Amino acid sequence: MIAQNIAFAILALVATLAALRVVTTRNVVHAALYLVVVLASVGALYVLLAAEFVAAVQILIYIGAIVVLFLFGIMLTRATIGVESDLDNDQRWIAAITGLFLLGVLTFVLVESFGDDQLPGLAGVSREELTAQRGTGAVGDAIFSTYLVPFEVISVLLLAALVGAIVLARRD
Amino acid sequence: MPPVFDTPAIDYHAFAPEIAMVVTLVVLLFVDLVFEERGRWATATVAGIGLLASVVPVLSLAVDGADRSLFGGAYVVDNFALVLKALFLVAGYVTVLISTDYIADGDYYEGEYYFMLVSSLLGMTVMASARDLISIFVALEMLSIPAYLLAGWRKRDLRGNEASLKYYLLGVFASAVMLYGMSLVFGVSGSTLLVDINQAISRGVDSVPLVTVGIVFIVVGFAFKVSAVPFHTWAPDTYQGAPTPITAFLSVASKAAGFAALVQIVFIGFLGREDVWAPMFWVLAALTMTVGNLIALRQTNLVRLLAYSSVAQAGFMLAPFAVAADIPADRGGVGAATGAVVTYLLIYAGMNLGAFAVVMAVARKTRSAEISAYGGLFAYAPGLAVLMGVFVFSLAGIPPLAGWYAKFVVFKTLLDAGTVAAVTLAVVAVVNSVIALFYYASVARQMIMEPAPEAETARVRVPGSLGAALGICAVATLAFGAFPGLIAQLGDLALLGVLP
Repeated sequence: MIAQNIAFAILALVATLAALRVVTTRNVVHAALYLVVVLASVGALYVLLAAEFVAAVQILIYIGAIVVLFLFGIMLTRATIGVESDLDNDQRWIAAITGLFLLGVLTFVLVESFGDDQLPGLAGVSREELTAQRGTGAVGDAIFSTYLVPFEVISVLLLAALVGAIVLARRD
Repeated sequence: MPPVFDTPAIDYHAFAPEIAMVVTLVVLLFVDLVFEERGRWATATVAGIGLLASVVPVLSLAVDGADRSLFGGAYVVDNFALVLKALFLVAGYVTVLISTDYIADGDYYEGEYYFMLVSSLLGMTVMASARDLISIFVALEMLSIPAYLLAGWRKRDLRGNEASLKYYLLGVFASAVMLYGMSLVFGVSGSTLLVDINQAISRGVDSVPLVTVGIVFIVVGFAFKVSAVPFHTWAPDTYQGAPTPITAFLSVASKAAGFAALVQIVFIGFLGREDVWAPMFWVLAALTMTVGNLIALRQTNLVRLLAYSSVAQAGFMLAPFAVAADIPADRGGVGAATGAVVTYLLIYAGMNLGAFAVVMAVARKTRSAEISAYGGLFAYAPGLAVLMGVFVFSLAGIPPLAGWYAKFVVFKTLLDAGTVAAVTLAVVAVVNSVIALFYYASVARQMIMEPAPEAETARVRVPGSLGAALGICAVATLAFGAFPGLIAQLGDLALLGVLP
């Protein structure tokens, strides 16, 4: 357990520092790149929790698609790529206070509820048993049985979003 | 050990309305693809027929009568779900009717417009049956994302862009807050099924702060969707900037879907935790009614007035939530609150869609939605003026129009609950009904008493489909008002389904 705790501490620290840089840096491109660090650290946390499928999805979707989309968006619109001085607005102190308040509430709530809980130890659990219950295969089974309706609805949703995005974005 | 996968048993009858809608979507895309410009006029017809065809399986399921629970209770087809599905499909059909000429006359993408409309309706029909957090969230996104796009359909219009962007940004923010709340509730209960969540959070007192924060976040997310004060700020700008048929659609169908989800989450999932949500709903209901009405008083544009009035109407629909747990069992208990909400939604859909249909018919001639443009309407278009009078006085709750019965059931639940809080809320609601009557009556006064601007008195030509929509809404408003028994039966049917 010691190794996992040390790994968690390192990842959490990296994620927090990078997250602070996302909002404090004066360069939009740097902010997007710091976001990559945050999201990758969260992905690594999922690996620590033995949720390898979620970790892979996190890397593929967030870093592979969303951050790349941000960067394309910055390049394709006429935003400044270098340092900008007017990136912060007047509401940053209100935002900071709200953020700290939310942090306080959520920390209290989560510590109060789960502070004494421990992850179940893995000693004596066979590899097969673990994969059958929690592995990628189990996620796949759930998607195509219990969560079949949401899965099918999402496929229609993607089609609708695609059609709508083309209508709004196309030049005519 | 070879992997084992149990193929889920699928009841295709239960999914028939949704399958019919997906078929409609595919046909719409194909008509647009194959016939190109020549087939544009047909897309409205295809969408209308598709929606009416989707009502058929809803009726056959209702005749069959058996409650169907699929995927371990994640997807339930019961009377509550069927009544709401029928409401969404009919409201969608009326939206297609009022859109037909508006979209064909303007320079809009037609096939894609109806594709988006039916997609959003698909999300709503799924929402009516969704009894687990993931299904509810996916259904909410399914109904919202096409709606964000539709709000900005007038893409060369700055107000249209503002409407879409405000709705989108605040909408995804509310979704994120709600999703976080769902993750907290899932963390405590270990299940996404509403029934299991109810078992877990009403059983013990563990993790009270966590449950509280989870419930608050989820309710806030839906409060945005139903434009409850203080989460209503997007509504007036979006309603004014969006194409008028979409404004009607958002203020009726999208709001009804938000309430459908609230009823299921709160009355199935969070029953037994009314100490958390009852005071929240009390404050939301009182604020929503009062703020919505006070701002509506100052409006000079009829679409904005209807936007704020629809905010205020949402306050009346939130009121039964605040007192649901205090209604004694011999007066119907929580079921009575469900029945009141569903009854209000059904009646509100008819009268509000009707009011927007009149606005569109008049705007075809005057090119304006300012209230001052309605002067003299009674003199040169008496039919439209009388219909507008019917719809606004019904919204105000004047007997014998349907709106009075909607208000009556809400007051009845408040007084049946009988607690001090409930009676206070009833007093707030009475005061608000009086304020609302003032601005609804001022619209009628403008139509009858004031002269027409610039002596413009040519007749208003109402196209066939818009006329049909007006007819459907007027018949619903008058019939439900004269024979409230009809709607009461639907409301009673609906409450049978939800109760655990």
